[in-house]
Amino acid sequence: MTEPGLEEILELIWTMKEESDTVEKDVLIKRMKPPAKESMLKTLTQDGYVKITDTKVEFTNKGMADARLIIRRHRLAERLLNDVLEVKEDTMDSSACEFEHFLDEEVTTSICTLLGHPVSCPHGKAIPPGECCEKANKEIRPVVMPLTELRSGDRAKISYIVTRYHERLDRLSSMGLLPGVQIRLHQRQPTYVIQMGETQIALDTAIARDIYVRLV
Amino acid sequence: MFETGVSAFKVALVGNPNVGKSVIFGLLTGKYVTVSNYPGTTVEVSKGICKGLDGRIEIVDTPGANSLIPLSEDELVARDMLLEDYEKRVIQVVDAKNLRRGLLITTQLAEMGLPVILTLNMWDELLDRGMNIDVHALQETLNIPIIKTIATHRVGINALLSSISSTGVPNLHIDYGNAIEEGILKVQKILNGDTAVNTRSLAIMLLSGDEALEEKLRDKLPSGSLDECHRIRDNIQKQFSNPLSYVINIKRANFVNALVERVCTTVSKEGKTHPFIRGVLFYFLVPLAAFFIGYKLATLSMSLISSRLQPESFMNFIIPIAVGGVTSIWFSLYLYLREYKERSTISEILGRITMHPVAAFPILITILWIVYKLVGEFGAGTCVDFFENKVFGSSLTPSGGFDIYISIPFIKKIYNITHVNFQGFNYYCGLLAQKIISKDSIVFELFLNEQSGLIQVGLTYAIAIVFPIVGFFFLAFGIMEDSGYLPRLAVMVDKVFKRIGLNGKAVLPMVLGLGCDTMATLTTRILNTKKERIIATLLLALAIPCSAQLGVISGVLGKISGIYFAIYVFVIGTQLLFVGYLSSKVLPGTPSDFLMEIPPFRMPKLSNIFIKTFYRVHWFLKEAVPLFMLGTLALFVATKLGVLSLIERIGAPVTKNFLGLPVETTHGFILGFLRRDYGAVSIFKVLEEKGGDKGINPEQLLVSLVVITLFIPCLANFLVMIKEQGAKNAFLMFAFILPYSILIGGILRVILQQF
Repeated sequence: MTEPGLEEILELIWTMKEESDTVEKDVLIKRMKPPAKESMLKTLTQDGYVKITDTKVEFTNKGMADARLIIRRHRLAERLLNDVLEVKEDTMDSSACEFEHFLDEEVTTSICTLLGHPVSCPHGKAIPPGECCEKANKEIRPVVMPLTELRSGDRAKISYIVTRYHERLDRLSSMGLLPGVQIRLHQRQPTYVIQMGETQIALDTAIARDIYVRLV
Repeated sequence: MFETGVSAFKVALVGNPNVGKSVIFGLLTGKYVTVSNYPGTTVEVSKGICKGLDGRIEIVDTPGANSLIPLSEDELVARDMLLEDYEKRVIQVVDAKNLRRGLLITTQLAEMGLPVILTLNMWDELLDRGMNIDVHALQETLNIPIIKTIATHRVGINALLSSISSTGVPNLHIDYGNAIEEGILKVQKILNGDTAVNTRSLAIMLLSGDEALEEKLRDKLPSGSLDECHRIRDNIQKQFSNPLSYVINIKRANFVNALVERVCTTVSKEGKTHPFIRGVLFYFLVPLAAFFIGYKLATLSMSLISSRLQPESFMNFIIPIAVGGVTSIWFSLYLYLREYKERSTISEILGRITMHPVAAFPILITILWIVYKLVGEFGAGTCVDFFENKVFGSSLTPSGGFDIYISIPFIKKIYNITHVNFQGFNYYCGLLAQKIISKDSIVFELFLNEQSGLIQVGLTYAIAIVFPIVGFFFLAFGIMEDSGYLPRLAVMVDKVFKRIGLNGKAVLPMVLGLGCDTMATLTTRILNTKKERIIATLLLALAIPCSAQLGVISGVLGKISGIYFAIYVFVIGTQLLFVGYLSSKVLPGTPSDFLMEIPPFRMPKLSNIFIKTFYRVHWFLKEAVPLFMLGTLALFVATKLGVLSLIERIGAPVTKNFLGLPVETTHGFILGFLRRDYGAVSIFKVLEEKGGDKGINPEQLLVSLVVITLFIPCLANFLVMIKEQGAKNAFLMFAFILPYSILIGGILRVILQQF
């Protein structure tokens, strides 16, 4: 499915099904916005995404799966725009609509991981979980996390360093602690001690909180 | 001492902290500079002439630096050396197993356009870890001489010497991307004219926001050009979300990573320790040592409440053994479960367990106890006694000689070998002098008077009392330094030190201060911020007794009762924390990050420890003996002129009424300014005399020793404080410490009277 209009209709049907169990065909057509057109509903029926019985619209299994992915992309995009990029709400809605059409599976998974597998969008609606979420559910921990979340003995790669202090960044980078470097958390108490290559480095909690790592 | 014109060029030793620059410096020049196993041993530049080469080539040892854009005082010292205006070459010392971090500096040296020899030191440790470096490929890429060395075993030094003449600028060029490269060109144009160092490197430093460099350039450049640089920097910064220096560092790191990947290989690591040694360690040494630790902890804590215990009771015997057993089982099980299967080497295990959140503390207490036994009891007790009473003795009464014997521990048998009929150095001096002059004459009194003679008191105190204590302290301290234990202490105390405005790193000057506050005040350079340096300097001057003083104090308090020594430690400790806490609140500035490299645990080399102890004791005696003599002379003159009794009268309201001490102790406090240990000894003598047959009054002793410990620092320390912190700060600290120490003494006296 590549046509944005068709995707919009599937999305709309999903949203309406969330509101009330049945979707009236007339209401659906009334709520459609361009580029979605009434004629497209026919295309969807022909391609086997939806079934129309009397006045009601139902998903087929294939349609359900696709709609689910579209919704997931849309709402993850909203989360990303809202939480990370701090975009204003009206821009967020329109941008998220754009996003959902070009995000591929891999990028969606990355965003989901980055955000820590969120369960709901900024408007409070549920985000359908993907495979990565189920995997994360078993492991409980998000993939990218502050160094402070590691258990001693864990090996991890530094993903990024976020700090307000310029000097801290200089000090870390001149020691060679930079994104991409593999480390092992040696101990958490009384202070954090990490092993980087053949160097052991002790650092305090404030710094450890600024270093985001990804388990390897 | 060395005219720059004489040597053709200088050779600077540069590198990351704790990679062995000072060892190589010693080997090249034959001059000893302190070598230890922790980053920050060298905080000053040392110079020497290279042996074994024609012509006078001056070698310069610099403090370790992780980056040539300085973030602390010692890094600044190293960097400024490289910016100086004369022809120089660089021996860059790299820890071979940490090639990546070393090459980060090489790229900066290459940018500065300096000729470099790369020394891959600790080659043995690299091989031990199953790593290898393709030196040939690296040499080909960089196009400079690369020498493999094991400096502590003198391996590779000759090769290093012979390649000094064939240095070359490393063939490295990092492209920082269009935006930054354009900026570099623009800044280079502004800098045009200053040709001492490659302008490209200066431009990169300025773009990285190097404030120290700006200060240096301010006078050399036409006004306004620095502002122009700022504008250029701010313009480039707009294109990046991260600070420019970070962007530059990342570019550098990426470049180095690619290079390291090409030349460095790691094969899977195998446990190197022989199975038998491992067996002995895990099944015998660890349980035994752990039992000892537990046993000692129990007896130590019981001795503190000894007055409440019944002597010879069954519990006295059973509790330490039970505690020892529990500790033994706990340590052994822990180590066995965690380490045995991991095939770690012994030094790795020791390195880990000495930072372990729980296990490290009993180990620390045991180490302190061993140091106390060595320095406080053997050094300050037995040795001082022997030197003071037997070797030096008194000018008027013979000491009676001493026995040489062998004592066998446990069965308590003593075999006398011979009796030495030596009546004491001072006694013979006295006899000799009395052949010429009467013992009541002023000259005899000047040198041999029992209270203030230059030889009888000054020389005897300096050598007989200070020498053994300081010597044994530095011996113990050297072992801690060289094994790598000290930086692990920093890990343990970081949380506490945070409360007093410092971080764990400050434990290094603090512990060194227990050896000599003067040396330690210099070491505060390794701290990152001005605020930390001021707090550390103040606390060193106020609450850290030096080894000589601590030795004397623990000796005299130990003679009375362990509980008084415990109170002493408690009072001084709380003052350290309290004043530290207050000053961290009062002084402006932000706390700095605790980010510190922990060196691997290494087997200390005995030869280095002895040489180091020798040089430190030598330094100490050179410093102490003249001051002791001067102090004694001042005391003698003051006594004869009656000034002393005048000062005593003036000080009487404070000493007598407020502190409750005999007025004679006043001159002890005055002497304390010359040497604090000297003051402590002299107060002790006064109190002993006053006590007469009843013995010394322990409360008076405790109060006076607390005051003399907190009291103003000795003259040498004060001079270093002025040098490091400026006269204003030094005098402000002085003005705070003087009344504060007396106030605390007064409060302590009142509290003690309640019991």
